[in-house]
Amino acid sequence: MAGRTEGLAGGQSGGRSGDQSGGHRGGRTIDAGLRLLDRQLIDVDGMLAGKVDDLELTMPAEGAPYVTAILAGPGSLSRRVGGRLGAKIEALHRRLHPSEAPGPASVSWGVVTDVGSSIRLSVGKASLPVDTLEQWTREHIIDRIPGSDRAPD
Amino acid sequence: MKRFTEITLGILTAIGGFVDIGDLVANAETGARFRMGLAWAVVVGVVGIVVYAEMAGRVAAVSGRPVFDLVRERLGARVALANLLASFFINFLTLAAEIAGVALALELASSVNYLLWIPLVAALVWLVLWRGSFVPMERVFGLLGLALVVFGVALWHLHPEGLLASAMHPGPPTNESWGTYLFFAVALFGATMTPYEVFFFSSGAVEERWTRRDLNVERANVLIGFPLGGALSLLLMGTTATVLAPRGITVEHLSQVGLPVALALGKVGLAVLLVGIFAATFGAALETALSGGYTVSQYFGWQWGKFVRPNKAPRFHLVVLLATGLGGLLMLTAVDPIKVTEYSIVLAAAALPLTYFPILIVANDRDYLGDRVNGRVTNAIATVYLGLLVVVATATIPLMIMTKGGA
Amino acid sequence: MRRGGGALILAVLLAVLLCACVGPVRSFEVYEGKAATTAESVASAAQTARLAAGEAADARAFAPYLSIVLSEVERDAGGSEDVFGAIQPPDGRSAELRTQLLALIDRVTAVLADLRIAARNGELGRLEDIAAPLGELGEQLARFVEAHA
Repeated sequence: MAGRTEGLAGGQSGGRSGDQSGGHRGGRTIDAGLRLLDRQLIDVDGMLAGKVDDLELTMPAEGAPYVTAILAGPGSLSRRVGGRLGAKIEALHRRLHPSEAPGPASVSWGVVTDVGSSIRLSVGKASLPVDTLEQWTREHIIDRIPGSDRAPD
Repeated sequence: MKRFTEITLGILTAIGGFVDIGDLVANAETGARFRMGLAWAVVVGVVGIVVYAEMAGRVAAVSGRPVFDLVRERLGARVALANLLASFFINFLTLAAEIAGVALALELASSVNYLLWIPLVAALVWLVLWRGSFVPMERVFGLLGLALVVFGVALWHLHPEGLLASAMHPGPPTNESWGTYLFFAVALFGATMTPYEVFFFSSGAVEERWTRRDLNVERANVLIGFPLGGALSLLLMGTTATVLAPRGITVEHLSQVGLPVALALGKVGLAVLLVGIFAATFGAALETALSGGYTVSQYFGWQWGKFVRPNKAPRFHLVVLLATGLGGLLMLTAVDPIKVTEYSIVLAAAALPLTYFPILIVANDRDYLGDRVNGRVTNAIATVYLGLLVVVATATIPLMIMTKGGA
Repeated sequence: MRRGGGALILAVLLAVLLCACVGPVRSFEVYEGKAATTAESVASAAQTARLAAGEAADARAFAPYLSIVLSEVERDAGGSEDVFGAIQPPDGRSAELRTQLLALIDRVTAVLADLRIAARNGELGRLEDIAAPLGELGEQLARFVEAHA
């Protein structure tokens, strides 16, 4: 179905979680502002994978808008925060990101398995674009220090 | 029996870990200028941090997540970011001051200039954080910090007179103004209620894998450990009140803090004191460095903690590394460590409402705490304190300007 | 509180600058006040040195610690002297006050220097003797403070 997609930077509540691959499987109606935004993302291994910085909504021609993806990372956080601070975050993100023109990293709604006090995902964080800076830090800095893979006691 | 040992160790760790460079400087200076006339400020501060630390620990034990982690969920990205920036900046100043404190203790023991010790101290702090395990680390420095009990022993030997009377009559002595008096009160609040202690306690609870069943341990640590730690601060205040105040000596250097103890107990007492100062400031350096990592990581949702392999939490460890390194660099500029300490505690006082308010909000949230949310009494006390903190925070900058930084 | 982040930083910077400034002194009263504060801080240094020297005599502290205490207060006294000495006295009365106070402080710093040198050489036994003049000097400073505070 045709419709516009946009982020939630304007800050609104109301949205329906649904299946992105077309055809609603009876999605829940939840207050996206309250239940989704700023929640912790936890991957399939129980590792922390960032926070929900923004949401990508699809506005169908008829019916309520629904969430198609979670946007995470400084690219989307900068817009939520807004103002000079947000612009600085955006600038920093551009400088640090390996790719040319990084946009907000998006996590398809399809991998979300649970919406509770945190958002559980069905994949490991390594496969998510939000992990880019984490991996970069690991490779270029942390792994160069001896003992970085030592198991905690 | 194991439970009992655990609880005792926790309490002892809390006592020894309570005092840091901010408390040492604030209580020593205050005792020398106002005798015990500001003792009430320490008591009020201790009650405040006990109430809020208990909340923060409860949140972590029941929800499995540290209180700062939940601030963003409850109050939104903007407010949490303001909180993060204020907390991190003050935290950083505190970390720098603690590193200098360790270096000063080493200088006093060796007469090698403290600036030469700083790189070593910063490196050692980072190394312990990289390689050390959380619980043993906490225990070692907390227990060694108990050496500061020497203040109590020294005070006993000094046969002080009139301390209690001085404590019961709040108000500035004739040669001091109300402005300076209140400014020092503000500084004592900042030193006693330093935000990093609360955030650290909460994240530490998750590091130690506390659950609902550990709530009693958590409460004992806070209800017994912190007040006894506050008592150590008051004993320190007592020693400078007894020895330095009558001589008109104002505390400008950490070295002067040792004079009363040396007078009372001689070389042995002095040696024990230096061990205590070393442990207290080193332990606090570890905690503030970790707090910096915790707060940044928890805001952005990065993996954090010493309970995972370092390469599973790369950005957390990077923040810790950078904070420690930059903190050392700041002190290498030979800026006066006492001044940095004073600024860190005064700014902490100014930011107290911003850092404490979210804790109250989260501790009342049934989503996270279920039936363990704040009771009415806790909420009443906590709200009164929040009001007090707003007053303190608003007064801080004007008082600082008025009194030229307590001159 | 929330939007006040930037304002807070500005306020802090302003406060820091205001605390650090020492503007020109235009009246005798203000100058007198500064003289009294200087005398107080030098008195504190002198008394610290006396206490430390006493502890050395009773072998209550070890040499590295004492030499640091003494060097630090020597630096303090010298610093106070420099700061006060750099202030332009606004009138004749102030100039006289300046001469009087600086002469007193000079005598104190001379003793403090001797103490520092002796402590660094490990001559703990001599410290109390060297510090003897500080008793009288301390009293003179106290009388000065009382007269001009």
